[in-house]
Amino acid sequence: CFFLLFSPIVPRDRHAVWASRKFTSPTDIISTVEFNHTGELLATGDKGGRVVIFQREQESKNQVHRRGEYNVYSTFQSHEPEFDYLKSLEIEEKINKIRWLPQQNAAYFLLSTNDKTVKLWKVSERDKRPEGYNLKDEEGRLRDPATITTLRVPVLRPMDLMVEATPRRVFANAHTYHINSISVNSDYETYMSADDLRINLWNFEITNQSFNIVDIKPANMEELTEVITAAEFHPHHCNTFVYSSSKGTIRLCDMRASALCDRHTKFFEEPEDPSNRSFFSEIISSISDVKFSHSGRCIMTRDYLTVKVWDLNMENRPVETYQVHDYLRSKLCSLYENDCIFDKFECVWNGSDSVIMTGSYNNFFRMFDRNTKRDVTLEASRENSKPRAILKPRKVCVGGKRRKDEISVDSLDFSKKILHTAWHPSENIIAVAATNNLYIFQDKVN
Amino acid sequence: MEFKLEAHRIVSISLGKIYNSRVQRGGIKLHKNLLVSLVLRSARQVYLSDPCPGLYLAGHPGAPAPPQQPEESAAGPPAGWGEPPPPAGRAAWPEPEPQPERPAVPEVLRAGDSEPAATVTAAGDTLQGGEAEAPEAAWRRVEGPRETAVGGAGGPAEVSGVFPEGPEAARGPCGCPPGDEDKLSAAPRVDGCRASRPAAAEPPASPPVCARKRGAGWVGGGPADCPAPGSTPLKKPRRNSEEQPGGAAAAAEEEEEEEEMETGNVANLISIFGSSFSGLLRKSPGGGREEAEGEESGPEAAEPGQICCDKPVLRDINPWSTAIVAF
Repeated sequence: CFFLLFSPIVPRDRHAVWASRKFTSPTDIISTVEFNHTGELLATGDKGGRVVIFQREQESKNQVHRRGEYNVYSTFQSHEPEFDYLKSLEIEEKINKIRWLPQQNAAYFLLSTNDKTVKLWKVSERDKRPEGYNLKDEEGRLRDPATITTLRVPVLRPMDLMVEATPRRVFANAHTYHINSISVNSDYETYMSADDLRINLWNFEITNQSFNIVDIKPANMEELTEVITAAEFHPHHCNTFVYSSSKGTIRLCDMRASALCDRHTKFFEEPEDPSNRSFFSEIISSISDVKFSHSGRCIMTRDYLTVKVWDLNMENRPVETYQVHDYLRSKLCSLYENDCIFDKFECVWNGSDSVIMTGSYNNFFRMFDRNTKRDVTLEASRENSKPRAILKPRKVCVGGKRRKDEISVDSLDFSKKILHTAWHPSENIIAVAATNNLYIFQDKVN
Repeated sequence: MEFKLEAHRIVSISLGKIYNSRVQRGGIKLHKNLLVSLVLRSARQVYLSDPCPGLYLAGHPGAPAPPQQPEESAAGPPAGWGEPPPPAGRAAWPEPEPQPERPAVPEVLRAGDSEPAATVTAAGDTLQGGEAEAPEAAWRRVEGPRETAVGGAGGPAEVSGVFPEGPEAARGPCGCPPGDEDKLSAAPRVDGCRASRPAAAEPPASPPVCARKRGAGWVGGGPADCPAPGSTPLKKPRRNSEEQPGGAAAAAEEEEEEEEMETGNVANLISIFGSSFSGLLRKSPGGGREEAEGEESGPEAAEPGQICCDKPVLRDINPWSTAIVAF
């Protein structure tokens, strides 16, 4: 069976596990969640431009019950609000995406981006410091050389662990429109950043130029019919990437074909079901997230009501379609009014590509087992998530008689939305961001 | 009628969103505005396609667009829409379009045969069928005539593009199979018979006529009565009237050919209080200038609830701006 329960919730407030925040600042809203390649670290970005990195506690004999707990490892301000005076535009500091680089030495590297600027951050530990300088004293004040009578060799002494984050690269001024995606290439030397109309390829070492590899801006902006909504590199083939559009299509491009990949190699589109046509058909078909499977054989896309799995070898329709919350189909007009229809939900694969997960409203999130075709709805909330409690499956009652534990569609809280989730690369540990709270759940191990 | 009110509501909500987007932090979001403009276009088409006496006087009997047969539309009622009213309740269909518009039509058709043909089909699809390509069709319809028409002929191009057949295509109310009620598309028909009216496929022409009067109705929530036939002089619909929906979002960026995420145009489109529409309308030579000027005074006179139809400039104002003025 499936997802269960779990161990402690780690709230964004690191000071107390159960501290209840009286005033939640809007800048605390989590805007992205990402495990690193080993799953040891979990990074979150928020609307205030901050990045908080959690680290998994190593198992220890002393505290067995704390196995696998994630605690705050580092916090830093990645982006600040900026003002573009030329265009009279304020640039939000909200972190749109974080992507980790694979670890190549003792330090950790991640990319974080807001609407306009991508930054490469180095997160490193310092647990020793040099002591015994000759020319300065312990407080760092310079000593008068005349007072030095002996020389000594400074030694490194242990100190309290300090984790410091330093910006190593700033990739700026390459995007006219809002950046929605970044993706690290499997060559570990390049990455791409995508905005509404263009995708740029960067080399990590070079910040003052980037290659434009996709440009869908029409010569006449009035002819604009679609925008790029997400982009990702293939996990193994460094020449291949996909990007999704607001029209519900996915294009796979091969960078070997030409420098400017405006002509796709593959085009994935499912014909629309005319019986579902409505005013809001375009909006709900817009893809909000696209993710390659770990194997690289499939891609998963999320639109407003469904998650679809596509086989790279079949372009005319997805191989699997999962209804996330089809009961919202009759409520699209209200959801348009309150702007919820524009919410961009993400989707994630588990490590073995057998289960996919995505968020919904009322702090619900859904998992679909691709093999058994079973699905479950779970809720991320403090009331339901005591340590070592088991998450109870939830059910939304669509019509008719509501059973005891079911919740009716009209009672759903649309302000509580789970847009960002992450799955540990190899274990059944998931991170779920519910507005300004981060929940971490793991499969119960007896 | 419910659809018309629903369409009103959606149009005003959409305009409100576009307006608010200009003051949001981080600048105008191109993606969201594009989506809103698509909804706005669909709602507007529904709204304008609603049968109303005199509404289609603005249309062109010689328009080449073949209205698709109602049975071709396959979409069910869109979400959020009520049940379509029974076709039997439909008011009498309006008479075919007034002759004065005719002369313009052949010109335009000559000017751009291929484009209007494409737009014709597209427009027909939009209104008749549940084609997924409705918004794209609308886009084509916008762009085609604009590119091919010259000056004032641009308007009729769009208009004519929508009417491949003349009044012959019109069938009496309830002439459509009853099943049509259930078939709604991106521009859901208020009744099953709407598809049969050639005039129904005439949003570009109607807006200047109806939107003006409707402005008051919109705000006041009163009955969306259409102007009496012949009571409102028809100006050639502006090409820009079609550009706006896409322009709503796209035009957010349209001003600058260089790399500027210029959002002035979206702001213009929805600027209720005084900004000119010059940016949006600039693309259209001649017409743009007129409208820009017209718009200057329009917004200033706009107060919620006021009827602005006494202003001669409203004739020149495309439906979007008129709606905004009234809004």
